Amino acid sequence: MSAILGLILGVVAGIFLKPDIPIVLQPYLPIMVVAALDALMGAVRSYFERSFSDRVFVVSFISNVITATLLVFLGNQLGVGSQLSTAVIVVLGIRIFSNVSAIRRFIFKG
Amino acid sequence: MRHTLRKKRDEGMPKSIPPRRPGRVRAPADDTQTGAFPVVRRRPLRTLNSNATRVRLVTSVLVALMCALLGFGYAVQVHNNQSSYQSLSEEELVRVLDETSNQVDKLEERKSQLNQQLTSIKSAADKQKEAARIAQQNEQSSGILAGRLPAQGRGVVVTVTEDSDRVDASTMFNLIEELRNAGAEVISFNDVRVVTSTYLLDTRTGLQCDHAKLRSPYVVKAIGDPDSLQNAVQIAGGVGSRIKVQFHATVSVEQSNSVRIDQVRRVQDYQYAKPVE
Repeated sequence: MSAILGLILGVVAGIFLKPDIPIVLQPYLPIMVVAALDALMGAVRSYFERSFSDRVFVVSFISNVITATLLVFLGNQLGVGSQLSTAVIVVLGIRIFSNVSAIRRFIFKG
Repeated sequence: MRHTLRKKRDEGMPKSIPPRRPGRVRAPADDTQTGAFPVVRRRPLRTLNSNATRVRLVTSVLVALMCALLGFGYAVQVHNNQSSYQSLSEEELVRVLDETSNQVDKLEERKSQLNQQLTSIKSAADKQKEAARIAQQNEQSSGILAGRLPAQGRGVVVTVTEDSDRVDASTMFNLIEELRNAGAEVISFNDVRVVTSTYLLDTRTGLQCDHAKLRSPYVVKAIGDPDSLQNAVQIAGGVGSRIKVQFHATVSVEQSNSVRIDQVRRVQDYQYAKPVE
């Protein structure tokens, strides 16, 4: 419940505040968003598996975001930023898909 | 033997049959169902503790905060994506720049092509206009020359009035030739427009000029420089004095600023002559 509330609140805040994010952070924001989405999907799956833990969610959320950002940052330093960000996006996308399919199995029992 | 056999069967039955009974087949399913219960039961237990409630509140706020961050980032990124090249990397910017400059080159090329086309079309139009102008000029001059167009301008009117003798055709023709030599551009002889094919004949009653019978007085109109035309006729020993002396006719020459010659000639169809290409 609080998660959905927070999500709506954040979207509304992002739409209405329209903040200018610093240019340094701009290439990392989409990666961060996708990583956070992955963490959220994992949390939803664990919720359906009844093994949801707030602490694990918070930690995985933060670590996901930081890891993805660091990877892309490293890639930028090495000159393979776009490729590495693609790789990160692909991996996170696969994880999101598998999480979603697990959630689907829990909902439809099949 | 029978008894013992039955007894053996009775003993064997409980051992051998239970594995086949449905009860044992259900057993694993019961395990999973019962295994799910403790997890569900654990939740209300946790909420009883007031300290745990606070922890739960804090963590739910944290979860909400995380989700809010996610939503915020999402919204910002969506909003930000719509604008400009700020988020593009250096390579992408270089690529975009290359594409743009390529496009600019192509457009410049196209522009110069179109400009060339425009100039060529313009020059063609100019040429056409020039050709039309020349054609019109030609049409006018050749029309005047061929007697197709009426003409007017400065010139002289020569009137030859016979007294008793008839003026013969060759003398009148001389008169016309003299006028022509003096630069007459258009000549008419009474009602006949004089052109290159004009002829004069003597007849019993007078002169014949291009199928028309003419009678005295003969009026020759000529457009040209009035002074030289007058001189050509009235020069001493010229055609004028010859007409006067030889045929006792009166010759009057009037200069005029506006000699108008309305007689025209139909254009002749050339049967044999063709222009050289």
